[in-house]
Order: sequence, then C-alpha cells, then structure tokens
Amino acid sequence: MELLSSAWAYFINRQDLMFEVLKEHVTLVLWATFFTIIIGVPVGIAISRTEKLRNMILGSVSVLYTIPILALFGFLIPIMGIGSTPALIALIIYGLLPVIRNSCVGITQVHPMLKESAKGMGANNLQLLFRVEIPLAFPVIFAGIRTALVMNFSLATYAVFIGAGGMGRIIMQGIRTFNTGMMLAGILMVVITTVLLERMVGVIDNRIQKRYSLSD
Amino acid sequence: MTREISVELQKVSKLYGQDKVVDEVSFTVEKGEVFVMIGPSGCGKTTTLKMINQLIPHSSGNILVNGTDVAELDVVELRRSIGYVIQYIGLLPHLTIQENIAFVLKLTKHPKKMQKDRAEELIETVGLPLNYLNRYPRELSGGQQQRVGVARALAANPDILLMDEPFGAVDPLTREQLQNELLRLQESIQKTIVFVTHDMQEAFKVGNRIGILRQGKLVCLGTPMEIVKSDDEFVKNFIGQGALFEVFDTIPVTRVLQKDFPTARYDQKVDLQAEELEDWENVFIIDSDDSCKGYIPLSSLNSDGSYTADQIIPLPKASSPDISVKLAVQEMLWGGRTWLPIVDEKSGFKGIVQFRSCAGLVAGDRR
Ligand SMILES: Nc1ncnc2c1ncn2[C@@H]1O[C@H](COP(=O)(O)OP(=O)(O)OP(=O)(O)O)[C@@H](O)[C@H]1O
Ligand SMILES: [Mg+2]
Repeated sequence: MELLSSAWAYFINRQDLMFEVLKEHVTLVLWATFFTIIIGVPVGIAISRTEKLRNMILGSVSVLYTIPILALFGFLIPIMGIGSTPALIALIIYGLLPVIRNSCVGITQVHPMLKESAKGMGANNLQLLFRVEIPLAFPVIFAGIRTALVMNFSLATYAVFIGAGGMGRIIMQGIRTFNTGMMLAGILMVVITTVLLERMVGVIDNRIQKRYSLSD
Repeated sequence: MTREISVELQKVSKLYGQDKVVDEVSFTVEKGEVFVMIGPSGCGKTTTLKMINQLIPHSSGNILVNGTDVAELDVVELRRSIGYVIQYIGLLPHLTIQENIAFVLKLTKHPKKMQKDRAEELIETVGLPLNYLNRYPRELSGGQQQRVGVARALAANPDILLMDEPFGAVDPLTREQLQNELLRLQESIQKTIVFVTHDMQEAFKVGNRIGILRQGKLVCLGTPMEIVKSDDEFVKNFIGQGALFEVFDTIPVTRVLQKDFPTARYDQKVDLQAEELEDWENVFIIDSDDSCKGYIPLSSLNSDGSYTADQIIPLPKASSPDISVKLAVQEMLWGGRTWLPIVDEKSGFKGIVQFRSCAGLVAGDRR
C-alpha cells in the first residue's frame, strides 16, 4: 500500500515528466507503426502473388522477429549509434512480421470467384487490387496492424536502452536511483497505457470485423 | 434475311496441359437470340463461356465478338462491353447492392449520379424494391442475389450477356419465376445471350437454340425441337425419354405468339383483299383507344367487308405469356377454339397464338 501511494505521489508530483515520456513513447510507436504499414502492406501484397518470394521473405522476417530486442540493439548501435533512429528501426523490424504476414494471408484469402467476377466486369489489375482485394483483405490486414501496434507499444519500453526515451525512462531511472515509487509509477504507467491501447484498438477491430462479416 | 452475328466460335479449343477440355467447338450466336449451352458437369460449359470474354484465354481457334477477333481487342474493354453473370453469383460482399450493380460504371468512371440512377432503374427492372439498394449482399436471399447478378450485368447496357447458370442456386419455384422474368425482360431488351445451364427444362424454356456439350465437344446444336429429335445416342440419353412432351410443357407460348394478326378499326370496313388476312379465320376489331374490342369470323362478314356492332364477338378468356405451349393448346381444347389471345397483366394485349403454329413446332419451324 505504501508503495502504491509513493508511486501515486510521484505520479502527481512529476506530471510534467510523465507527460513528456508518454509523448516520446507514443511518437516513437506511431512513427514505427506508420513505417511498418507503408513497408509491410505493399510487401505482403507483393509476396501474395508469387510463392517463391513469399517463403523467402516470410522466412527471413520470421528470423528477424526471433532476435531478442537487446541483441538487436547491440547489432544496430555500431551501425547507427544511439538515439531514436535505431529504436525506430528495431520497432519497424518487429512490426513487419505480423503486418506482412497478415497482408499476404488476407489477399490470398480473397475468394477467386470474387476476383473473377470483378475481372469479368472489366476491372483492370489496379482496380482489382484497390476495389476488391484490399477492401476484402482489410479485416485481416488490420488485425496484423493491431498486433504490430500493441507489440511495438510494449517493446518501446526498451527504447530507453538505446537512448530513445519513452516510458522506460521512468522505470530505469527508478531502478538506478533506488526510487521504488518512481519505478513503480513507471511500471504502472506502462501497464495501464498498454491495456488501454489494446482495448481501444480492440474495439475498432471488432467494429471492422463485424462490419465485414455482416457483408460477407 | 441474313441475321447479324454477335458471337462466333471457330474451332475453339482449350488445353490444360495435355487435357483438351474444350475441343474444336464452333457455333454462331445471332443478334438477339438466347443460345443455351448445356451438358453434364465438367463438360466445358463454363470454360467455353469464359473464353468469350477472355477470362480464360483460348488455346486455338478464333473467337469473334461483333465481327472482331477477340485477340485484337483489349481484354478489359472487351469485358466491359459484355455483361457477365458468374456461376454462384459472386456479388462483392463489401459493397452495397447499389455499388454492386453500378460496379462497371464505377470502373469506367461514370459520374456518381448516373451510377445511382442506373442502379435505381435496374433494381426495378429485376423486380426488387428500391430500398434494397442500401443493403449488403448478405442481407438478400439467394433468389434476390441472382436478380442483382442480372441487374449488375446489365449496368453498362451491353449488347451481349454471358450467363453462367444464373438461376442455379435457387429453389425450383423461384427458378421458374426468374426464368419467366428473364424471358419478359429479353422481349424488351433483345440482348444476345449465351446462357449456360445443366437443366434441360431450363434450356428448352429460355433457349432459341441449344448446343449440347460432351467432354469438350459440341455434339448437337439446334432449336429445342431439333434437339429432341436428334438420333445421337448420347443426346437421347441426356435429354431423357419423353423429352418431346417436355418441350411442349416448357417452351413458352411467346415463341409461337403472333403479333401481326389481322385487325380492322372499329366502324371501318374490313379490307377483304388484304394480304394479312391469309391463313386467318377471324379479324380482330381495334377500338379508338387501341384496345381489342373483339373479333369477327371472316365468314360472317358481309361481302363488302362491312359488319354491324352486334357481330363482334368478345375476346375469350386470355392467357398469360408465361404459360407453356402445352398449356396454351390445352386452353384451346377447353374453349373449343383453334387460337388463344395472350394478355400480360402489366403490358396488356400481346398477340394471338394459333393451334397451327403450336403444331408447327413439331415440323421444326424456327423459334
Ligand atoms: N484451371 C484448370 N486446370 C485444369 N483443368 C481445369 C481447369 N479449369 C477447369 N478444368 C477442367 O476443365 C473441365 C471443364 O470445366 P468447366 O468448368 O468448363 O465445366 P462445366 O461444364 O462448367 O461444369 P459445371 O456444370 O460443373 O459447372 C473440367 O473437367 C475441369 O476439371
Ligand atoms: Mg460451370
């Protein structure tokens, strides 16, 4: 109880810092997710067309995915130094797997009959992609983006190790200065914001799935 | 009179590896006719149909659409100019009914307003309520979806329609209704239709001519009457015994309907020299509002073609254009007459069916 109240006290007293780290955290995650989407979705769609490329790309992205984040940092620091760039790159790498995989699966799952029906009506390749395949694959693609976003949000706590700030800062500083109140405040903040985010995206996701299953 | 040819296949084949799934098929489809392709499952009906709009490229032979070899056409343009009703309907689940119907117009970048107007017009054409336009395909029954499938194919007002088992997924009653609607629609729009089915009754009913496919080969081609009289063993087995009677029970009476029957204006003499009187026993009296007042047997007219009002006999009970030739003959037998007036609930007087033309079917008169 005492711990909790000290955490609460810290939270109240250092609102400005709390707000600052949250902003760093969210900015990092949003940028990472943005890049994950603009790289992952096109790659996923591209590899849905050719099986050879698919296995190669999905294989290598899966390997990257299994590298522990601290090892990845160790790998990136000699190349890019520290700061938000290597943190961003690391998060993008982790986010890519779910986004690429789901985009690919989503597109390949579109029923051939529906594609044929659109083609039969005279859709060209681009129209087929943007008017039929992507909209129909959207729920699956979105589920991938959701996974990447939530995962990146919790992974971004590690960004502090590479000097990119974020909520991890509070926890690290708390540990280093034996300030348990501060440490706990940081932990609670990470847990609560992650849960909130998860819930929020979940609600959107449910809406999307519902809207699409209705018209399935 | 030579008729214009809309679709022509010249020795068209399709190979998948070593498999020849369509084998040197040749036929022509005249403008405005319904050409039915029928055959057992897997005989190559869908493949043949899809080669016409090049969803499947053909391996050899020539396909001409409105006189042009499809090889010289841009496939996207070709497909936009041909209406296509896919087997299993294939409405796009993420689009509303309106968006589905207007899909081709959207692809060709027609203004939104026009897309909406056309969708409204077409949903009425296929007999669905306007407010269905805002629904999603999921929210429609199978039969309703089939109707939307037809509406969608008509959106760009193509001359040619390809229909792959368009009424395949509905119960027999709805199916019959949809067939009747198609026939009525066809009467007003006069499209060239290539129609695939595996139901012989349906083929007899909607087809002006029928081609029977077997293992990729066209084994028989002709009018329903010619088909039932074929000597080919496979064809005989395929259409089954008693098909001759079935034909009479399925061919719609509109096939033998005569729209140019002899008429005279009320209060005017009948011109007894008129050529149109030939072969007719009666002349039909038309009132000033173009409705039919009744008829007078030619034999009871005065020698100068004049008549009095009380000579006019009211028309007997009319029949609907949906009935089969068999039912029409039955009606004639009941009424003790050799002809029958046909009246549509909505569009009014359609014409006269004579016993002679029903019997003419047997002799192989066309259509
Ligand atoms: N992509 C393909 N590769 C190899 N064979 C194919 C392919 N598509 C179709 N076939 C074969 O071609 C034949 C004709 O198929 P098609 O779909 O035209 O039959 P169908 O007459 O429409 O049958 P159904 O009445 O069942 O719809 C079948 O034996 C089928 O197995
Ligand atoms: Mg088929």
